[in-house]
Amino acid sequence: MSELPTILAGVEHAFTLTNLLFVVFGVMAGQFVGAMPGTGPVMAMAIAIPFTFALDPLPAIAFLVGVNKGGLFGGSIPAILINTPGTPDAAATAFDGHPLARKGKPEKATKMALFSSVTGDTFSDIVLITVSAPLAALALKMGPVEIFALMVFAFSIIAGLVGDSMVKGLIAAALGLLAAMVGLDPEHGTPRLYFGHFELFDGLPLAAVAIGMLAVSEILRRLAAIGSDILPTIVIPKSQSKDDRRVSWAEYWSCRYVMLRGAIIGTILGAIPGVGSTAAAFISYASAKQAAKDPDSFGKGNIQGVAATESANSAVVGANLIPLLTLGIPGSVTAALLISAFKIHGIQPGPLLFEQEGRLIYGLFAAMLMANLMNLLLGQVSLRLWSFAVKAPETLVFTSALVLCIAGVYVSTGGAFGVVIMLIFALTGYFMSLFGYSVVVFIIAFFLGNKFELSLSQTLVILDGHPTNLLSHPLALVLLTCAVLSAWWLGFYAPRKARKKA
Amino acid sequence: MKLKTAFAGLMALLMLTGLARAEWKPSGPVTLEIGFDAGGETDTLGRVIAKEMADQTGWTMVVKNKPGGGGIAMFTTLAVAKPDGQTIGMGVNMPILVNLVLRGDKLPFKLDSFDYLATVARAQVALVAKKDAPFNDLKGLVDYSKSHEGTIVSFDAKPQELLMRFVNKQAGADIKLISTKSSAESIQEVLGGHVIAAFAAGAHIPYLESGDLKMIASANATRHSYAPDAQTVTEQGFDIFVDPYFFIAAPKGLPADAKDALAKALDKAINSDATRKAIVNALKTDPSDLGPDGTEKMLVDGVQNVKKLFDK
Repeated sequence: MSELPTILAGVEHAFTLTNLLFVVFGVMAGQFVGAMPGTGPVMAMAIAIPFTFALDPLPAIAFLVGVNKGGLFGGSIPAILINTPGTPDAAATAFDGHPLARKGKPEKATKMALFSSVTGDTFSDIVLITVSAPLAALALKMGPVEIFALMVFAFSIIAGLVGDSMVKGLIAAALGLLAAMVGLDPEHGTPRLYFGHFELFDGLPLAAVAIGMLAVSEILRRLAAIGSDILPTIVIPKSQSKDDRRVSWAEYWSCRYVMLRGAIIGTILGAIPGVGSTAAAFISYASAKQAAKDPDSFGKGNIQGVAATESANSAVVGANLIPLLTLGIPGSVTAALLISAFKIHGIQPGPLLFEQEGRLIYGLFAAMLMANLMNLLLGQVSLRLWSFAVKAPETLVFTSALVLCIAGVYVSTGGAFGVVIMLIFALTGYFMSLFGYSVVVFIIAFFLGNKFELSLSQTLVILDGHPTNLLSHPLALVLLTCAVLSAWWLGFYAPRKARKKA
Repeated sequence: MKLKTAFAGLMALLMLTGLARAEWKPSGPVTLEIGFDAGGETDTLGRVIAKEMADQTGWTMVVKNKPGGGGIAMFTTLAVAKPDGQTIGMGVNMPILVNLVLRGDKLPFKLDSFDYLATVARAQVALVAKKDAPFNDLKGLVDYSKSHEGTIVSFDAKPQELLMRFVNKQAGADIKLISTKSSAESIQEVLGGHVIAAFAAGAHIPYLESGDLKMIASANATRHSYAPDAQTVTEQGFDIFVDPYFFIAAPKGLPADAKDALAKALDKAINSDATRKAIVNALKTDPSDLGPDGTEKMLVDGVQNVKKLFDK
């Protein structure tokens, strides 16, 4: 779409020492805030944006993209090492990553996370760079009805992760949807369940709920379990063979299909705004588990579980830029922050962007690939550092994590109100897992609830209340049929077969 | 002689205090509270204004985000803050006006809970359709809807929905409305052919330039600078408009000199080059500071207008 000179000029524009330093600094900052429990790339980017106003557009955006990419990998570190994910995507990484760490292989798990994260990210970046225009045109065809059908399909796949009891899973999902109801309703703006607290008009703060339920409840559980002995958080056997500390090429190669599937799922869901990285991570994990010969080994430290999740949620980041650059639509909170960064630099995403700012956009693409490489190199260093840190006594590690969570939520939600919400949900999460209700199902329902409600209401208006009008939306029909099939397969057929086997 | 000196000294002292009164200075940092999350438009503009103010006046400015309910949470605490000129807040008029009209009895503040200091800019709201749509104005859209047993328009803020309902009621157009999260999403629905027209605040301008979209009407009280030929909704026969303003207020009871000094400092900061650039970039419009009285009038008139939107 653009001529070669523009592309070359853009790449040349990107490969300056200043840009490289901003990318390196961004990735470093991202990996650091991602790895600290309670903070993350969203918070770091929100705080950094006003300061980038003083910079040139390219270093400013390259820095923010670096923070985003570094933060996404960084987020997998606490999830794997101490089972305290700060976001729902990282929760899926913890499923298999943390058991691996407990087996004394924290470096292997974090390295696999790093490699698959960079793999998925690079895959979707290449898709973005080469075919973003046709993909964006396709994504335009996805109207509210199709998005609604896609979400139903996503839910039906994720349902396969519910666990032993379907009833408990449904209860957890219903509670998550209930929590998502708080605040202004997405269709007419009528406030619901806010109990006089105007802070709740925008709904329960996402960061406070996610960190409370996923991280703080785990911290509470671990603190409660600490006995009189002082133990290191993770015991690494002294005579550990080299193979347990690294990811061999054979291991990486054995995950190729899992990673490719994750990267494709992430790229598709990233290109279609609205569904997001949470769904991508869980769909990829669920389908890796379904396709595996030994699905029972998932959740107990199967390295493929880590590869599936990390490749998918990282692939969303690059693909998110497709609707962002071509239409100006943010597919996630971080993408929304990138749009406001573009805007304050006077760059308007949309149809004329490649024409007017071609040099900048190809420079950005070059900076993204640069950031992937830096992520890989710097990640090797930082994961060693954090793996070393968790050799510290668990009393120390978990108490500092708790302090960091409180501080992080205080800053990102703008005050003590968010901290109270976080603590309420930490207790809720603690008791839910005590009685065998899936916290993760709750969080998925909570995160997707609002979008689901909005597209349901849009769909009802478009269909004008007649289900037969669905016939003029063939893609939605296909997706809904797939949803029914997968619900039947995962909910009835597969469990029955498993019971017969047992 | 001695008495004379003492008298002169006293006069000088009085004059000095008089001067000091005219040149009000905050005794500590001035906090600008933003009623929205970090990273958004209001946040970005607020931070640029605070920086300009700090550079121009030498005051220490602190920017704080207090998100919630489109600014309701921030104005709730601002209303009871100490009116010493050291706490001011920035928000958008529409969510405040809508809530005052719909559930004013439940809000912990009223319009007269604040002293108004300045407006920053007015967002330009337009109704747009695809370039090959079989109509060019609002009347055409109404006729199209009538002849097709209803059509669909997308919006991203409550007042736009209400404006269209007003048109529906007056013309019997049976236009159905779907809610989206942003102007960009509304435009996506138009481009994808899922709706026939959409409201947008700024995001539509590049599509007008590229020729993918055409402008059906300005939803503001006046026409837009970039599209002087597109008539307002009012000009097209429907006596209704939406004028979203970014504005800055302080708790009621500000000393007159403090109010004056703050309003002057804000006006200078809002019209500075850096702020102008940020406003043009973010909102595709120019800064417009109506001043303390103009801001108050804008809000008082706004309540009447929103009441009309709600048919109350």
